[in-house]
Amino acid sequence: MLALENVHTYYGKSHILHGVSIEVGPGEVVGLLGRNGVGKSTTLKTIMGLVRPSGGSVRFEGRDIAGMAPHRPAHLGIAYVPEERRIFRLLSVLENLRTGLDRPGVSESRKNELLENAYEHFPVLRDRRNQAGGTLSGGEQQMLAIARAMMLDPKIILLDEPTEGLMPRMVSQIREIIHVLHRGGVAILLVEQNVPLTLEVSSRVYIMEKGVVRHHGPTADLRANQAVIHQYLGV
Amino acid sequence: MTTRSSAAGYWIGFGVVLALLAVAPLVLPEFWRRFVTEILVWGLLAMSSDILIGYTGMVSFGHSAFFGLGMYGAAAALLTVRPPNLWLAIVYGLVGAGLVAVFVAYFSTRLRDIYFAITTLVFSQIFYVIIFTWTEVTGGENGLTFRQPPFAIPGLVSVPFTPVTLHWFILGVVVVSYVVLRRIMQSPFGKVLQAIRENEPRTRAIGYHVERYKIVAVMLSGLFAGLAGVLYAVQNKFTAPDFVFFLISGEVVIFNVMGGMGTLVGPVAGAAFFLVLREGLSRFWTEYYLIPVGLIFTAMVIFMPQGLLGFLKRRLNQ
Amino acid sequence: MAIPFDQILIQTVNGLVNGMILALVASGLTLIFGIMDIVNFAHGELVMLGGFTGATALAVTGSFWLALVAAVLTIALLGALLQATALRPLVGRDPLTTILATFGISLVLQKYALWQWGPSARKLQEPITGQFNLFYLEYPWYRVLTALLAAGIIGALYLFLRYGKYGIWIRAATQDRIMAQAMGIPVPLVHAVVFGIGASMAAASGVLFGPLGGVTQTMGADFTLRAFIVVVVGGMGNLGGSILASILISLIEAYASLVVSPAQAVIASFVVLILTQLFRPTGLFVPTPK
Ligand SMILES: Nc1ncnc2c1ncn2[C@@H]1O[C@H](COP(=O)(O)OP(=O)(O)OP(=O)(O)O)[C@@H](O)[C@H]1O
Ligand SMILES: [Mg+2]
Repeated sequence: MLALENVHTYYGKSHILHGVSIEVGPGEVVGLLGRNGVGKSTTLKTIMGLVRPSGGSVRFEGRDIAGMAPHRPAHLGIAYVPEERRIFRLLSVLENLRTGLDRPGVSESRKNELLENAYEHFPVLRDRRNQAGGTLSGGEQQMLAIARAMMLDPKIILLDEPTEGLMPRMVSQIREIIHVLHRGGVAILLVEQNVPLTLEVSSRVYIMEKGVVRHHGPTADLRANQAVIHQYLGV
Repeated sequence: MTTRSSAAGYWIGFGVVLALLAVAPLVLPEFWRRFVTEILVWGLLAMSSDILIGYTGMVSFGHSAFFGLGMYGAAAALLTVRPPNLWLAIVYGLVGAGLVAVFVAYFSTRLRDIYFAITTLVFSQIFYVIIFTWTEVTGGENGLTFRQPPFAIPGLVSVPFTPVTLHWFILGVVVVSYVVLRRIMQSPFGKVLQAIRENEPRTRAIGYHVERYKIVAVMLSGLFAGLAGVLYAVQNKFTAPDFVFFLISGEVVIFNVMGGMGTLVGPVAGAAFFLVLREGLSRFWTEYYLIPVGLIFTAMVIFMPQGLLGFLKRRLNQ
Repeated sequence: MAIPFDQILIQTVNGLVNGMILALVASGLTLIFGIMDIVNFAHGELVMLGGFTGATALAVTGSFWLALVAAVLTIALLGALLQATALRPLVGRDPLTTILATFGISLVLQKYALWQWGPSARKLQEPITGQFNLFYLEYPWYRVLTALLAAGIIGALYLFLRYGKYGIWIRAATQDRIMAQAMGIPVPLVHAVVFGIGASMAAASGVLFGPLGGVTQTMGADFTLRAFIVVVVGGMGNLGGSILASILISLIEAYASLVVSPAQAVIASFVVLILTQLFRPTGLFVPTPK
């Protein structure tokens, strides 16, 4: 469904991605691991069209999306939960959710359904729906960022370190929502530092180092092969 | 090896341009002689603002104030002291511009980016309003006219300027200014200014007293702009509030953008380019010449931010 | 030197009326800056073009209100076109670059107006000519109407931004352009529309100002400068702050012109700007960020 092939990305003159190839099938949960600064977030930004790749192809359901306007991937069904969460701080919680709802071709009843669904999984958002996004706690902001992505009714969600800086109870809530999305047939590309969580929820894992994929395989193989984990992730 | 040959090339080019400018008044007809002299004066003004725009990264939209106060300072000397004295005109002009520079310098240490640009613009408008309305002293809207001082070295010579000798005198002042400014910008001081332009917080973090550097940059820029004002006053024998109005500041910014910021010669080339464009276009277009010039300028800001000189340099290096 | 109380009151009314017209200009400027970091040096020229377009439309249709609508629509379109062609490549660049580019555009627009409408001033005929007694003055109702209309337009803008899908799009794109795009908001389109809205507000003030001060091709710079001052004093990108600052500045200028000539009264607002910059660089009406 989503396929990156030999993608090269630059920030100005610095070459960050040196030919990254990654594939995610429909409804599949795929982990993307790697140490700090290897280019995981850059990979996600490239998929979203927020940075332009200089070479290679990014295809979604057979279409080349690399050169598209940055607001198009969302309409095609790719949702993005960035590392810094990037809540619209002065918009209320409900307005934050509505940024993803007011697309062409979504009926009022479908909008309500999506909203209700999000409120059901994150009841705290219902309670705070009229509060400014910037006043939420870090964990609540993470919930909002995920709920906001769900408003797009996506076929795939790109999750960038959703558990970063969260306490264990929040982490299990994130684990829970990943399962929920998976059961609902949504594919997930999960970037994480939390190796156990990633191994638990994903069916396949890619490991990056310095802008290239060094290792790739089913999670079961990796669990059996602690040496690889140690070599690339240092844990 | 390459740096030495490019340095040699630079000085050869410098010598050729200098020679051409020196010979120009002898061979050009009256109108074009004046024209070239004016390019030199505006070029000096453009160069002075390059210290701020190009080197320090502070866009001054108020350079007309320095220039205008230089003109009015010169006028004060030429009208009050008999016989008119060239050097006194320069001193008065520099004092006038220096006073404005002190004000602007004070603000430059507190304001950044657009705030600095807008505040300098407002500052120049304050001086414009004062000069425009204080008719008893400044002559108001009509400005002041005065006699041209002779070229004098006390106890030695005192000869009236001819258009040709005036051109040479102005050429001398501009060239000396250029050489001095180039030295300063290549000195450690100039390097710090460029570091401020690239990354002010980092420059501060390394331990430089950024504020002091900015103050000196503004003073330097203001004084040389004032000097250009004095030269213009001496050449044209009058001064008017129009020269304090912000349109002049806008033109100075245009010179910088067109020629190439941060090169000192670029803005001079920009001034020449602009004035030639104006001369050529206004023959057919009268004052509407600003329509094509404005379009060219806007396109250059968007597509050619390094200016003509930077563009040519890149082309030649390829 | 005692100033009679009634003169102070009259100047208060004058200051409020001028303040509302200025607020109309400044809120467009600050809206544009907030969302795309463009400091629009050509904003005053849009006021001027609005005034001239209104004058032409008034001559054709004979109706002030039709002329107002025609000018607003025309200049909105012009603004959106300007944004989509010249300014789009500048979004996200250094605001200083945007000042330079829009300065170039202002030169073009001003000389275009000179070419199209000539150097002389046009005075628009006011739609209502009634007056009421304000102390020793016959005060025109039109001035009061102007202030109310300006307030109405600003209020409509506020409601538009506050409620509804497009308001959310605009505010989201103002706060985080990149994330707005990632959520599927067509940000380039939003930018062009916002520029059009800002331009149309400038045009409306140009038409409303027409019967008061007349329209000349040189009036743009003055409006730009004032709007800049107001936007900086009110806090860059802060809509409410700009409106308050417009009124404050206009009141101060109105009072100052009781003691000095109007040309010199401008200096009062310059001084306000400079003092603000010294003591509250983030603007008078914004809480200093913690
Ligand atoms: N906007 C940018 N401009 C220049 N370089 C950048 C930019 N963003 C990221 N980089 C550089 O690109 C490299 C990869 O960054 P990226 O954010 O993709 O890493 P990451 O794998 O997500 O790391 P982390 O685990 O710390 O989030 C880093 O060296 C980083 O410094
Ligand atoms: Mg990252």
